[in-house]
Amino acid sequence: MARKMLNDGELSQPNQEEQTHFDFDLFVIGAGSGGVRAARFSANFGAKVGICELPFHPISSEVIGGVGGTCVIRGCVPKKILVYGASFGGELEDARSYGWEVHEKIDFDWKKLLQKKTDEILRLNGIYKRLLSNAGVKLYEGEGKIVGPNEVEVTQLDGTKLSYSAKHILIATGSRAQRAPIPGQELAITSDEALSLEELPKRAVVLGGGYIAVEFASIWRGMGSTVDLLFRKELPLRGFDDEMRAVVARNLEGRGINLHPRTTIKELIKSEEGVKVITDHGEEIVADVVLFATGRAPNTKRLNLKAVGVEVDQTGAVKVDENSRTNVPSIWAVGDVTNRMNLTPVALMEGTCFAKTVFGGQPCKPDYRDVPCAVFCIPPLSVVGLSEEQAIEQGKGDILVFTSSFNPMRNTISGRQEKTVMKLVVDAETEKVLGASMCGPEAPEIMQGIAVALKCGATKAQFDSTVGIHPSSAEEFVTMRSVTRRVAAASSNPKTNL
Amino acid sequence: MATSVTTPKLTTTFYKRLPITVPLSSHFLSLQNTLTPFSHNCCSLLYFQCQRRHVAARAKSDNGAELPSHYDFDLFTVGAGSGGVRASRFAANFGASVAICELPFSTISSETTGGVGGTCVLRGCVPKKLLVYASKFSHEFDESNGFGWKYGTEPQHDWSTLIANKNAELQRLTGIYKNILINAGITLIEGRGKIVDPHTVDVDGKLYSARHILISVGGRPFIPDIPGSEYAIDSDAALDLPSKPEKIAIVGGGYIALEFAGIFSGLTSEVHVFIRQKKVLRGFDEDIRDFVAERMSLRGIEFHTEESPQAILKSTDGSLSVKTNKGTVDGFSHVMFATGRRPNTKNLGLEKVGVKMTKNGAIEVDEYSGTAVPSIWAVGDVTDRINLTPVALMEGGALAKTLFQAEPTKPDYSAVPSAVFSQPPIGQVGLSEEQAIQEYGDIDVFTANFRPLKATLSGLPDRIFMKLVLCAKTNKVLGLHMCGEDAPEIVQGFAVAVKAGLTKADFDATVGVHPTAAEEFVTLRTPTRKIRKSPPSEGMTGPEVKAAAGV
Repeated sequence: MARKMLNDGELSQPNQEEQTHFDFDLFVIGAGSGGVRAARFSANFGAKVGICELPFHPISSEVIGGVGGTCVIRGCVPKKILVYGASFGGELEDARSYGWEVHEKIDFDWKKLLQKKTDEILRLNGIYKRLLSNAGVKLYEGEGKIVGPNEVEVTQLDGTKLSYSAKHILIATGSRAQRAPIPGQELAITSDEALSLEELPKRAVVLGGGYIAVEFASIWRGMGSTVDLLFRKELPLRGFDDEMRAVVARNLEGRGINLHPRTTIKELIKSEEGVKVITDHGEEIVADVVLFATGRAPNTKRLNLKAVGVEVDQTGAVKVDENSRTNVPSIWAVGDVTNRMNLTPVALMEGTCFAKTVFGGQPCKPDYRDVPCAVFCIPPLSVVGLSEEQAIEQGKGDILVFTSSFNPMRNTISGRQEKTVMKLVVDAETEKVLGASMCGPEAPEIMQGIAVALKCGATKAQFDSTVGIHPSSAEEFVTMRSVTRRVAAASSNPKTNL
Repeated sequence: MATSVTTPKLTTTFYKRLPITVPLSSHFLSLQNTLTPFSHNCCSLLYFQCQRRHVAARAKSDNGAELPSHYDFDLFTVGAGSGGVRASRFAANFGASVAICELPFSTISSETTGGVGGTCVLRGCVPKKLLVYASKFSHEFDESNGFGWKYGTEPQHDWSTLIANKNAELQRLTGIYKNILINAGITLIEGRGKIVDPHTVDVDGKLYSARHILISVGGRPFIPDIPGSEYAIDSDAALDLPSKPEKIAIVGGGYIALEFAGIFSGLTSEVHVFIRQKKVLRGFDEDIRDFVAERMSLRGIEFHTEESPQAILKSTDGSLSVKTNKGTVDGFSHVMFATGRRPNTKNLGLEKVGVKMTKNGAIEVDEYSGTAVPSIWAVGDVTDRINLTPVALMEGGALAKTLFQAEPTKPDYSAVPSAVFSQPPIGQVGLSEEQAIQEYGDIDVFTANFRPLKATLSGLPDRIFMKLVLCAKTNKVLGLHMCGEDAPEIVQGFAVAVKAGLTKADFDATVGVHPTAAEEFVTLRTPTRKIRKSPPSEGMTGPEVKAAAGV
């Protein structure tokens, strides 16, 4: 063991003797993406690992969760399943121009999809449990709490409490959807419930401009619902490239979603026809479902962090250093609970780095540069690297912007009026590609390979020297010949407030 | 004599960079006679460079005869397909005067029909992909059932709607291509071009002179001469059939055969594929060959391996039978041959002018797309190098730069990605495992074979296969292969990475896009196999021992 505990020396814990015996080398609280990854990899490095997780349920709370975490149970996976389900709505429209005679009467059975979604996440929940047991990780069902720098207490379902000592404790409890403090907020739902609704809403109102908001708007619209999307800014998806945000807004509208920019909800009132939404413009919209996609908060309230002295920021996120270590040297944290970059693959990266650093003898830091991500609205958006605005802001030099807006071949026959838009942001001096974005079918799949190139500092010339795959959408990324615009790096550029 | 050249510096540079096939002496000898009469308005630098080459050619072929003082065009392109249009447009953009000739439009190509846009737009990539889109819907309907969608009646396909919409799109595209040419200031001549001499093209009896001639006439499907071959159709006809085949035999195991098998199968025809070899897609990675055939079989396509048609028989009810080395399969409404394509070099007058060709009829060219006749060039399928649209575009673009921008440019054929739009489709770039072993000896192979999220819900037996082939010594990604939904789209970005010479570590350092299929390419952790050319013998020392220990 000693060989693997490379960090022993650094752990200055005067109260503990060198030969102190711990029940575990590592105890992980929370078996989501980051926690499971860290637990498995640590066990593979030879550590004795325990992990605790709340009992399974699609809708999370202080006392329910489930092995697999947000991604598997209440996030990426069920969301993508519903996006697949919703995408067929558009497919059917397109099929007709391709000669398919689709009967007017098409039914969409929400209950069936929901059941299959639940089956699938249960299956994945089982797979995750097996992954843990196969790695030799001991799983406890119950609520974990930190009672000392090396002491964890697990409250089991029947109320009995277990107490374990561990050389290292990893907090990986993730986050949970929050409701905005608006009168009548109890009438609204969060993304957890939205993924498990009994009935498909005929009329849905979505509050929020983030990726969760646009994804659910697309899901319901694709299934035939009337959808109103309300957001505070001029465009949805703050933080993304402004040009691409405009493209997403146009596409959402093109697919029949009613956009309400610069709008928020003043009040929700229960009425006979449904929930009455009163906007700050005085508008009234009646809906079957009102979704608040107004942010998520780290799950740190009941962990007893204050008592042990683990610092959290004002949002409740656990503060960590570059190695995911908290201010208490034996306590670490990865994933959404640290509110760094809240993506599953990033939590995996953090979990891997933690295991390598602490038990693998390979100290490493997660690298947050050029992390690609995707928004699964319909059609989806995917990006890697810098947005045009970020590149300008960095102000290192002039940038070249290459854009391509085209009608994908499939639309030539289907008649769908929806342009695919791609964009490369290039450093004018070094020719390095700083950022790539795409909004259009298959964007997330296309962006992955582009991300490898970007991560390794590929230049525009290297993109250009790559032969296209014809006919594809992706080939546009290697055939952008003329610069759309050159933007001076001047920091005097007026900031937009979209 | 060479001293009379007024721009010696330029000459040297030029000579170093452009391989010139004619002897040096004649090259320079002819130059002094011909410099002054030219009165073209090309930028002088380019102009001189171009001149020398064709002038030299003239001198060689005409053996010192009187040279024309003026050409109608700087470039005359025969064939307005992908390569020809690209070369012509770029040449025109660089200031050259350009003419291009093309046969009249028809969806079926022949000695007398073609159309602006060429194979890709009219009889290849575009119509093929449109039919692939159409045919994929049946699979999507099946998938959608698993996602809760139900149809009053099973969706039926109406062939004529599809073909009418497809042809309307082709008409639109050929119009766009014509406009592109016209807007670039290119003279478009409809008719059949024939080479009369190194600087003259005959289009239906009218003669045009040009400083350079570009042959970009492409290729055409080839049907082997067996009894009953007159009953067979080729891919041109298959893209424009008056009615949907009920039961079709497709002969061939190449990408065209597989693509059409997927199209007709998706549009609910019964499909039989006859291949001479044991496996489909010769030249592709072996794992991919196995995987795609298995997947297509699962979708109901019947493969007849090592079974070559020897005759096609027509029975009294009009149905066709295919007689093979193994027996006879009856009841086909259509028999399609996808047995290769041949360059369109017949009756072009090439032999007479001295343009050399391979035994397949492909024009032999050097690295700059130059033929044996220095003023005649060739790009695209007619040269039978890598027969892909983007490669023809690359060749056309490179040629325009070489001839008219003083920038001798060779097309670069390394790590050219390609796709097969079978169902499921294939995308690939770089070397197959077998090629990598041959070239590098020691390689590591990473593979993933998984059921995508969509399939777990749809309940369909769809899977995805991915493969990375690495150089064991350098960790460089030599080849990347995928068969499964969206493979062609997914591979493009990775092609940039492979082309840039990136390593497995670079792939690993990239964070995944979740949840996607593509993220598997950056999360392959354990090698499936490590192949070492020679097992380490006991006497080995130093680095070899170390390498073996890494296994």
